[in-house]
Amino acid sequence: MTKKTKQSLLGLLLVLPSFLVLTFVVIVPIVLAINESFRNEAGQYSLEHYIYLFTDKVSVGNIIFTIKITLISVVLSLLISYIMAVYLRFSSGVIVKWIQKLYMIPMFIPSVIASYGIINMYGNHGWLSRILLLFGSEALPKIIFDYKGLILANLWFNIPFTTMLLSSALAGIPNAVIESAKDVGASRVQLFLKFIVPLSYRTMLVAVTFIFMGIIGGFTAPYLIGPNSPQVLGVAMQQIFSVYQETQLASANAVFMFVLCSLMGYFYIRTMIKDDKSH
Amino acid sequence: MSSSRNKKRLSVALASVLALSALAGCSSASQPTSGGAGTAGAGKDEFSFYFTGSLNVKELWETLVPTFEKQNPSIKVKLVHIESGAGGQSTLDRLIAAKQAGQKSGNIDLYEAGLSDVTKGIKEDLWGAVETQKIPNLAKVDDGFLKDLKNMAIPYRASAVILAYNSAKVKTPPKTANELYDWIRNNPGRFAYNDPSTGGAGDSFVQTAIYNFLPPEAMRNSDPGMMSQWDKGFALLKELKPFMYQKGVFPKKNQGTLDLLANGEVDMIPAWSDMTLEQLNKKLLPDTVKMTQIDPAFTGGPTYLMVPKLTEHADSVNKFLDFVLSPEAQTVIVKKMFGYPGIKWSEMPQELRDQFKDVAGGYRQFNLGDLGKEIQKRWQREVAGE
Repeated sequence: MTKKTKQSLLGLLLVLPSFLVLTFVVIVPIVLAINESFRNEAGQYSLEHYIYLFTDKVSVGNIIFTIKITLISVVLSLLISYIMAVYLRFSSGVIVKWIQKLYMIPMFIPSVIASYGIINMYGNHGWLSRILLLFGSEALPKIIFDYKGLILANLWFNIPFTTMLLSSALAGIPNAVIESAKDVGASRVQLFLKFIVPLSYRTMLVAVTFIFMGIIGGFTAPYLIGPNSPQVLGVAMQQIFSVYQETQLASANAVFMFVLCSLMGYFYIRTMIKDDKSH
Repeated sequence: MSSSRNKKRLSVALASVLALSALAGCSSASQPTSGGAGTAGAGKDEFSFYFTGSLNVKELWETLVPTFEKQNPSIKVKLVHIESGAGGQSTLDRLIAAKQAGQKSGNIDLYEAGLSDVTKGIKEDLWGAVETQKIPNLAKVDDGFLKDLKNMAIPYRASAVILAYNSAKVKTPPKTANELYDWIRNNPGRFAYNDPSTGGAGDSFVQTAIYNFLPPEAMRNSDPGMMSQWDKGFALLKELKPFMYQKGVFPKKNQGTLDLLANGEVDMIPAWSDMTLEQLNKKLLPDTVKMTQIDPAFTGGPTYLMVPKLTEHADSVNKFLDFVLSPEAQTVIVKKMFGYPGIKWSEMPQELRDQFKDVAGGYRQFNLGDLGKEIQKRWQREVAGE
């Protein structure tokens, strides 16, 4: 054996475990689930579960609810994270230092614990309403067991990571660029739209993809905090699968979620490739 | 030089991975299959006891079995715990397969399960009848329960859904189902039941609300034709929804409503007797929480012990069953699991009878088969979804 063939064999050997894991843990189950979703109760191929998914009142309600929650959460987390990242990048002082130390904490808190924390904070007789009571106000809107609580939880889970990603992108923008733009008289808004956004927009796309996929497949927080109806797709799917035990319908549900995420992935990859070519 | 060193490192790493996986393979393979007579040394008779359930069931048996083994040094009980929802069905399948293959009872000598497994097993003729001559303490069990199942299964403990309420706020708790519904209407926002697909307490509230309108025979009817008679019950549930906690919030899991009761968000909930008693005991619920049963009662049911007909360790198993039904072991069940005892209350110590007097009234047992799922589906659509 020559050295080269030995090396390529070693390479294959090293790739093999991850390839096998990927095949049997990811690819095979996906193929099986897709196959399962097209079968009816008698085992024949049919579209009945997809027809149910997109025509049934409750099911359509769940889909619209999930997409709404996801889009609102993505936009809000991105907005807040961007503002925070820009502030952290271009300001200095004690507050900035403290925020930099604190903003990542939510990433290290398990979602179950965070969800119960949110319930205790914003619930009907939670901390917030007790504090408001001291100031004589009793009118706290219903946050827990409602879509508002769900969005709040999504923000809690997603802002730290997004801010971290965007901060690292903004750190890559040289001060010289900003300063020279300022010198020729660029306003703050121009500075943001013409320089900061274009220079960090690939990272932004990565962030959007991550937030979108994380929220659309979310289970723990929606299960504990969300309303009884409509449900997000993850909760509905769990109910269909383990309570009603309708495997095929649950698979159809899963395939639909998979398609939504793939669409997101497709746009992400397409822009990445386009960008690479133009560089 | 460096490449050979790297290779050595790699091979060491590979070898350790292989060794680890081999070890893991061995241990996982040896656990479920090695039960039974194979390892019984020095004249000890070992039998395998398969049981399902949550952690509290496992803890119960881990408390009871050492006591039994101390009293009977010649018998060893091998406990095989099957997580709830993770393959209770497969134990039954194993018994059927072993019987068909002529392999006796497939090393399963005692099995604990709920009613549906008992009746499935009776249909397959899997269980052996239990007799008072061999198990003297069987006389302490209510005869009617045993006869219902042709002496094939021993109801050794039970739990039921009851009404838990805050006695500081509710002076006179409702005594009947209709009084309960009136109380809910008169006290908007102070009652909650959990999403029925996430826990038995809410499920019981929904099922009884529907079946109180139907004749008692319907409770044991799993014919899909019954579904057309549910309308009145669902109309009631829909009518009650605006009077629920926050005008229609149904928390997830049995614990969800208990949490609301604990922090005073609501004053009354349907809850499992064993969960409520355990949490009262651990001071997770305030002392003012009391329990009562209404008429007609909420649902509940026993958990059964069955002896496979073809077991080879019948004598040891009978001795163990006699121990489980002794007032001593039953007291452990009541104190540790906060369940109802399997033997008659009159056989239990006075002190425990006093503690349980509010809820000892009983429960109703439903056997709806797959209709239970249909109720949950319709509830999600019509009650939660409105």
